[in-house]
Amino acid sequence: MREHAVFTNRWLPWVFLAPSLAVLTVFLYYPLWQAVVLSFHRANLLLGTRRFVGWGNYEAIFTGPLSARYHQVMVQSFAFSMLVVVIGLSISVVLATLAAQPLRGARVYRLLLIWPFALSPAVAATIMLFLFNPEIGGVNQVLNALFGIKPRWLDTPQLAFALVVVTAVWKNLGYNVVFYLAALQNVPKELSEAAAIDGASGFQRFFRITLPMLSPMTFFLVFTNLTYSFFDSYGLIDVLTRGGPIGPAPFDAVGITRTMVYQVANDGFTGSGNTGLAAAFGNIVLAIVALITFAQFRFGGRRVQYGDH
Amino acid sequence: MPRPRPRRSSGRFWSHVVLIVACVLVAFPVLFALIKATQTRAAVLSPSLIAGDQFLVNLRQVWATADLGLFMRNSLIVATAVTVGKTILSLFGGMALVFFRFPGHRFVFGFVLLTLMMPTEVLIVPLFDLVSLRPPESWAVFWAWFSDPGRVFLRPLDFGFGWSNSYLALIVPFLASATGTFLFRQHFRAIPTSLADAARIDGATPWQFLTRVLVPMSGNTIGALAVIQFVYVWDQYLWPRVVIRREELQVVQVGLNMIIGAGDGVEWGWVMTGAIVTLIPPMLIFLVLQERFTRGFALTDAK
Amino acid sequence: MKRTIIVLLSALLLGLTQAQTTIEFWYAFTDAPRQGWINDRIDEFNAELAAQNSPYRVEGSNKGSYRETLEAAVLATRQGTPPHLVQLFEVGSQLAIDTGIFRAIDGFGGGIDTSDYIEPVLNYYTIDGRVYSIPFNSSSPILYGNETLLERAGLSTERLPETFGELLAACEQAEAAGVTEACITFPLHTWFFEQWVAQQGEPLVNNGNGRDARATEVLLTSDAALRVGQFMKDLADGGHYSYTGRFEDWAGSEAIFGNQQSLYFITSTADAGNIIRGAAENGFDVATGLLPIPDGVTRNGVVIGGASVWMVDGPPEVELEVARDFVLYMTNTENMVSWHKLTGYYPVRVSSVEALEAEGWFDENPEFTIAFTQLTETLTNQATGGALLGTFGDTRTIVEEALQKIYQGSATVEEAMDEAKRQADAVLAEYNANF
Repeated sequence: MREHAVFTNRWLPWVFLAPSLAVLTVFLYYPLWQAVVLSFHRANLLLGTRRFVGWGNYEAIFTGPLSARYHQVMVQSFAFSMLVVVIGLSISVVLATLAAQPLRGARVYRLLLIWPFALSPAVAATIMLFLFNPEIGGVNQVLNALFGIKPRWLDTPQLAFALVVVTAVWKNLGYNVVFYLAALQNVPKELSEAAAIDGASGFQRFFRITLPMLSPMTFFLVFTNLTYSFFDSYGLIDVLTRGGPIGPAPFDAVGITRTMVYQVANDGFTGSGNTGLAAAFGNIVLAIVALITFAQFRFGGRRVQYGDH
Repeated sequence: MPRPRPRRSSGRFWSHVVLIVACVLVAFPVLFALIKATQTRAAVLSPSLIAGDQFLVNLRQVWATADLGLFMRNSLIVATAVTVGKTILSLFGGMALVFFRFPGHRFVFGFVLLTLMMPTEVLIVPLFDLVSLRPPESWAVFWAWFSDPGRVFLRPLDFGFGWSNSYLALIVPFLASATGTFLFRQHFRAIPTSLADAARIDGATPWQFLTRVLVPMSGNTIGALAVIQFVYVWDQYLWPRVVIRREELQVVQVGLNMIIGAGDGVEWGWVMTGAIVTLIPPMLIFLVLQERFTRGFALTDAK
Repeated sequence: MKRTIIVLLSALLLGLTQAQTTIEFWYAFTDAPRQGWINDRIDEFNAELAAQNSPYRVEGSNKGSYRETLEAAVLATRQGTPPHLVQLFEVGSQLAIDTGIFRAIDGFGGGIDTSDYIEPVLNYYTIDGRVYSIPFNSSSPILYGNETLLERAGLSTERLPETFGELLAACEQAEAAGVTEACITFPLHTWFFEQWVAQQGEPLVNNGNGRDARATEVLLTSDAALRVGQFMKDLADGGHYSYTGRFEDWAGSEAIFGNQQSLYFITSTADAGNIIRGAAENGFDVATGLLPIPDGVTRNGVVIGGASVWMVDGPPEVELEVARDFVLYMTNTENMVSWHKLTGYYPVRVSSVEALEAEGWFDENPEFTIAFTQLTETLTNQATGGALLGTFGDTRTIVEEALQKIYQGSATVEEAMDEAKRQADAVLAEYNANF
């Protein structure tokens, strides 16, 4: 590592760092600690009540009368995140690779693939909500005219779940393509051309050269996409399905598109809910995220080195 | 340049096909929204995909009657403030971490980076208390609380900042950025040591070094960061929804959903107009900074 | 720096308006017509205050949904900046009382004259023998029918089905005639479920519908509740029911009916104005009828839905007096008449109803007659008084999920309602543990 430190002033770095450290301490670390404290209390936002209950809230989540809800929400969150990451990144990497070729009109393709970057979860969901409205939406009007069918997008559990996944993938596409395109600029052309001369087909070059070369970026995108689908999907779900519909057994304890963050917000802010319970569930979510990140760095770390070969 | 061999041109053909299909599919929902935004009330609910001439009428309605103008203004204020603040604080952080030698520097970096795993969304319950509870009546009350570790660390909060009715609730908690600090750190580390040494030999103060050397060299990183931060803040939904208690301060993402929820019968034409308008600012930011954005990330990734 | 500017600015503003004290009224209407109506009343009242050189001035602001309005009021009160008046929905009554930030209106000053209020309305807002809040906007569900489609199906436009059985039979007939895709639409909303249970004279929660003591059980497996569940199943089995698939999607069902994709529509009387206007635009007339109820039970009547205005405990007495006077002005005889004409909400005063009758309003607008018949024929008892429950919001979601299961056929009526009861009781126990 090169030595960069050029200034030796002792207090100046702290002056530069102070605003960031203050904001992070007050608005992230302290609330995180408060979440731990709160999770051992039964508290209500509107009543202003707080009572120490020990592990009561955690017990409620794992074994209480409503525990089935929490278990279901965890499973659903994972399924949702996995699908969004796997489907989203697969499509993005293929499209980015195609659009990175020296094709005629490649710039136009790139622009047309990147712009969904500007979509927010709420706006993407708003448009999809209208498009897939079973009675007045455009999709069903076309399907009805052509095939005489009107799929119930918003209350058939499988369709509603799929719709939420598709919307999330669509919303993320621009972001993923942008980053893959940036990474593809660094993939040496010679490598690919050499392989082409050796007679490697497009598919072979994609799997043997492009994909491994992109693995550091994939590693980064898996992280950001996971974070996105775990946490930022609230707006999307709130607008599109409000957490519903109820699923088939064993997914019938709560709405099938409720994610963990949706459940936290629901418990914390519905008025009659126990905010301590919400905090406890939030802490469990955080622990899971920490685990995933840790595992990913261990597993992903190796992949990145492979990519650097 | 070698002529493409015939085998490759068929590959090209399929590349074009796949890309065209993908572009159309990706654009379709928004094109649909755009068309519906131009139609009359009756046409909006029909299958018609012929653009009408009602866009300005819808826009005027949604802008004034449904307060979209107000929501857009609020979002612009908040997103700009956070983007600027975050960029400056990250620049400071990156500078301190790379160009200063000071004890605890590794710890600070870890402290900042660890916050990547603490999304506000999960912390909303305690963060909400902290931001919205009534502030202490006086400094004396605050000190009494602050000097008692039992109350600070073991009891739920007694008071907070009292920002429920202010933009501060949407701005201040988001001013620091792990991503930003990290990006600047990576970027600064790539700057040749000789340059920094030259600056020091010239007798530049740290502040001069920052403003005259580092900032001019960081256009791409600043651009890249500005784009992601602006879009991140612009997209926020859950936090403003729970913390903001005055409609006149609400941001556009939540406001758009309020237009869907308002009264009886959704004016889908208005809603689609609102959705399109909401897309414009992040799109503009992106178009303006696109080159810098791509380069900013390509560079850091090359490391 | 920004802080200083804000402080300076507010000091400046305070200096300018020092002569005036603001009376804050927080309401939950987000649509332009109703907001406009409220603002007009505020302006009128303020003009009167100004004429009397009063230092007070009423200011209204919209706080989103009822639930958000309640949250905003509670939090503002805790933060030391309480509003004076808050409009809250009827099912939030128990929660509102439990927050402890409100004071009962009948204990304030000389109280209010309650003799002019329609009985079922007063019945709802009288809790433990006390009137807590000033009735404002009240409604109940009725059945709407598309006359064009009814005629095509050979069904009566004069008398709409009044029981579940009659409704299902009408649906069979319409289906056989191939008139439309779905027979009936209504939002998948527990409000209707509550109405159907009350119509049978049965309580929704124990302890006298929560009015004798704090409720501890939600009676979702009572015969009355199961009958409603069975109705949902019958509708699903016959393919008669249509909705958008989202819970509580009022606008979605209104669009289905407005687009002539259903023959019947159950929704609030408060939407009558909009529905009839919308139907006229789409070229059909609307018939109205009583809310259909289970077969073979006595019609007990409806639980009054809507909202009332609550007074916050905290601001000085003199300010609260002005606040109360404002609400009484806003809901006086004449204003309730214009409110009813604009929205379809019931005028909550007997004198307003008489005024409407005197001017022949019901002859010109027969669709409102049915709504009034339904209201005036309501029996006064604990069932139609409405349930008091601190966890109404959660309970509504749980019941909606149960009804959706029945609709999807993924559970039998009994299974779905058993599970719903288990969940609703658990949530309630959790809430009650706060006391």
